[in-house]
Amino acid sequence: MPQLALQTTAQDEGIEMCSVVIGQTLYGVPVMRILEILGKPSKQPVPLAPGYIGGLVHYRGEVLTAVSLRRLLNMPAHDAIEDILVFEGADGYFGLLVDEVGEVMTVLPADFEGNPSTLDDRRKSLFAGTYKLSNALLVMLDPERLDPVCLAETAPA
Amino acid sequence: MRYKGKAAQVLVSLPDNVSVDELTREFLIESQESLDRMERCLTKLEERPDDRELLAEIFRAVHTIKGTTGFLGFSRLESVAHAGENLLGLLRDGKLLANADIVSGLLVLLDMLREILGSIESTGHEGQGDDVSMIRRLHALQHSVSEGDGEVESRRLSGEDAISPKGEPENSIPKKKKARKPRVKAGAAIAPLKDAEIVKPQQEAKAIEVYQAEPQTAHVRTVVNAAESTLRVDVDLLNRMMNLVGELVLTRNQILQMVSTDASLAMLSRRLDMVTADLRETVMKARMQPVSHVFSKFPRMVRDLAQQLNKRVRLVMEGQETELDKSLLEAIKDPLTHSVRNAIDHGIEVPHVREAAGKDPEGMLRLRAYQEGSHVVIEVSDDGGGMKVERIRDKALERKLITRERSAQLSDRELMQLIFLPGFSTAEAITNVSGRGVGMDVVRTNVEKIGGKVEIDSRAGKGTTLRLRIPLTLAIVPALIVHSRGQSFALPQGALSELVHLSPKQVEAQVEWMEGAALYRLRGKLLPLVFMGSLLKQQENTTEPRDAYIAVLNAEGRRYGLVVDSLADPEEIVVKPLSSVLKQIGLFSGATVLGNGEMALILDPGAIATQSNIGMALEDDEVEVVDTSEKNGSAEYLLMQSANEHAAVPLESVLRIERIPRAQMEWLSGVPVLRFEGTLLPLKDRTGQDASQDGEMTVVVCRDGERHVGVAVAQVLDVAFGKQLNEAGTDAVTHDVILLKNRVTSIVDLRHIPGLPGARLRQGELTETWEANGLIEVPA
Repeated sequence: MPQLALQTTAQDEGIEMCSVVIGQTLYGVPVMRILEILGKPSKQPVPLAPGYIGGLVHYRGEVLTAVSLRRLLNMPAHDAIEDILVFEGADGYFGLLVDEVGEVMTVLPADFEGNPSTLDDRRKSLFAGTYKLSNALLVMLDPERLDPVCLAETAPA
Repeated sequence: MRYKGKAAQVLVSLPDNVSVDELTREFLIESQESLDRMERCLTKLEERPDDRELLAEIFRAVHTIKGTTGFLGFSRLESVAHAGENLLGLLRDGKLLANADIVSGLLVLLDMLREILGSIESTGHEGQGDDVSMIRRLHALQHSVSEGDGEVESRRLSGEDAISPKGEPENSIPKKKKARKPRVKAGAAIAPLKDAEIVKPQQEAKAIEVYQAEPQTAHVRTVVNAAESTLRVDVDLLNRMMNLVGELVLTRNQILQMVSTDASLAMLSRRLDMVTADLRETVMKARMQPVSHVFSKFPRMVRDLAQQLNKRVRLVMEGQETELDKSLLEAIKDPLTHSVRNAIDHGIEVPHVREAAGKDPEGMLRLRAYQEGSHVVIEVSDDGGGMKVERIRDKALERKLITRERSAQLSDRELMQLIFLPGFSTAEAITNVSGRGVGMDVVRTNVEKIGGKVEIDSRAGKGTTLRLRIPLTLAIVPALIVHSRGQSFALPQGALSELVHLSPKQVEAQVEWMEGAALYRLRGKLLPLVFMGSLLKQQENTTEPRDAYIAVLNAEGRRYGLVVDSLADPEEIVVKPLSSVLKQIGLFSGATVLGNGEMALILDPGAIATQSNIGMALEDDEVEVVDTSEKNGSAEYLLMQSANEHAAVPLESVLRIERIPRAQMEWLSGVPVLRFEGTLLPLKDRTGQDASQDGEMTVVVCRDGERHVGVAVAQVLDVAFGKQLNEAGTDAVTHDVILLKNRVTSIVDLRHIPGLPGARLRQGELTETWEANGLIEVPA
């Protein structure tokens, strides 16, 4: 991912990633892109909204549209209250619903690999690639691809 | 506070590294303001050509521009302004008397100055123009009148002696000077080194215009103060502040809910509560501007239009100080301009037609603004030809906007509203000014977009009144919170006309179906129903029959009932925009955070009507009610069940209806009374029950002149039209008895409910004290 690599000055320097858990998988989001993490806020469903919209969340006097990665990946919904990462998108702020926010870790560009060809198209379009950690894989999420404005064009409702 | 949309910067003291651009921009903004003021004065000048104050003000506007352009290096502006200044100098000194030619010439000058300023703003250069002929025209004006009209001149001069030998009265100067000074102040604060340069052109100016010289020094002090007390603020900054205040309000609400246990914390939070409320009000006030900002451009427009159409129009403006949110003010600018144009073009007749009709050849156009509750009403009325209902009907038929059968059913008032339909225009010929078929529908759409309403009233031969009803602010909307399948939604109250409650049994019996379309008979008329749950495809979590509430909505002339599960309180909500993805759903106009921290989507009644295929319903029940009452002289009454007979009160005097435990009724010198939020309400007990009996009673709170009185009854039955009865054998109309729903019903005489003796509330009990006049509640 060239634009992700750009965020560090040198190739061998580590990139700070915030790890999040959705289902069984560990995902990573560049820390620099996250504006704020909201711990288990209450959210309001929006009737008739596209499936990937997880609801509305109150964020600093604004109304935030939250995208549900679970629904995007056709994973079963669950009742647990989710954490929300806040990003700045093309059309103002938006949120990403995740099961739980993990820790901040440093990954090396050298450990990066693109999406495997066996991945289904839907996931290929959402994931930016993966970092090989010593004991697991960290799937890279690109906030730009999760922007509701972008999803409105790419994702099926 | 003074602020302008264009002014995206704040006046601050900056070090000398400020570029000339900053100064130029400052100059542009101020010049625009001066020119706006000049325009206002010029139109007034026509009525009062010898008003010295007006002349002085116009002179100052041009003079300031000329003085400043010199050092900014705008030569074209300077030469044109200079020519204007010479002419104005003669006018101001009374050597010339302003006539229509001179005013026209000065208006053209004004337009030219505006054009050059506009060019500087957009390109940085003055652009090209025919300055020579402009200057020549102004020169010609200087001579034409002064030679020909010696009589006027001498009168002018003698009048001048009577006022003051040195020119303007001193006391009028400081406030007029206000706007000009911030530039001087800004210049001085920004670049001390440039001080000399800034002052110099003005000293030069002083040398040339000797008549201006004396008051100059006196102004400087007062005006510096004016500059210090006002500030230009970016509107975005205000919006952000508004948002943060909203956030603060919510946090406060949550704190208030948490602290109920700790006494000292409760005290603190109450103070927080007060401060927050004040802060919110102040920030909202900062966004308010007087309607004169919009009104001020009309004198010129009316003048130009009237000349163009060979009509004579006198413009009367009232209530210019009425304040409105800035964004709303912007939004009504176009609809209002359109309405004024319409009034002059279609409304007011040419002088000879007016004379033939026995009217003053000069037509009158009245712009009136006033506040009414949480709305500001702006009226545009003319005393012109008015609209003939027949013409409107014929036109609507011709344009196929309505069928012949339909038109026969409509009342005059309903026909009048047809002019709001798209593609309607009655102008005989398309004129330069209006009549292109886009007209009133645009006015209506624009006003409804901001939550307002438009009404029209017209009498053939007498004139037309157009009423725009605008909410006070855009940011805060009164809304009713409704629930559907456990989720809260906000329904803007502007569109809401009434609420109907149906018990599960009534839902079963009274909701009728016609080929899949649900209908409800509301006072004998079919009302199409939209079920919110199924509209939003919300999941049904129970199959049990339940209560239903029909919110009767009137959206852009379309009337329907929105069926919801339950109602919560009305709330003033702060509207937050939705992201584009959610806007596409098309049913929600925004979202809001409720007092309890919960979020709610705001329903868009117009969009719901469109999506549910609700057609334009011109039969408006309420309108019809008004019509009938006008025709028959009968009024509506509230029908109530008293002991074992029916009783009624005129509906117009009813303020509200409350259910209250009987035990709350107290007695004062034999008069039953009720305490309501610290006020005392005299009561008439018509329940027919023993006072000591437990249970509830219904209290109808009515207005009787200035005071409020209550009528206690067993229950409220209905609203009905009353028919007057004559006493048998005579033509005398019976008093206090009326025929309601074919039953003789007595009218409760509110005037005969005894007033209150002097009383004092003590320790939660009512105690009579005859010496006191007022009623004071003494804390226990």
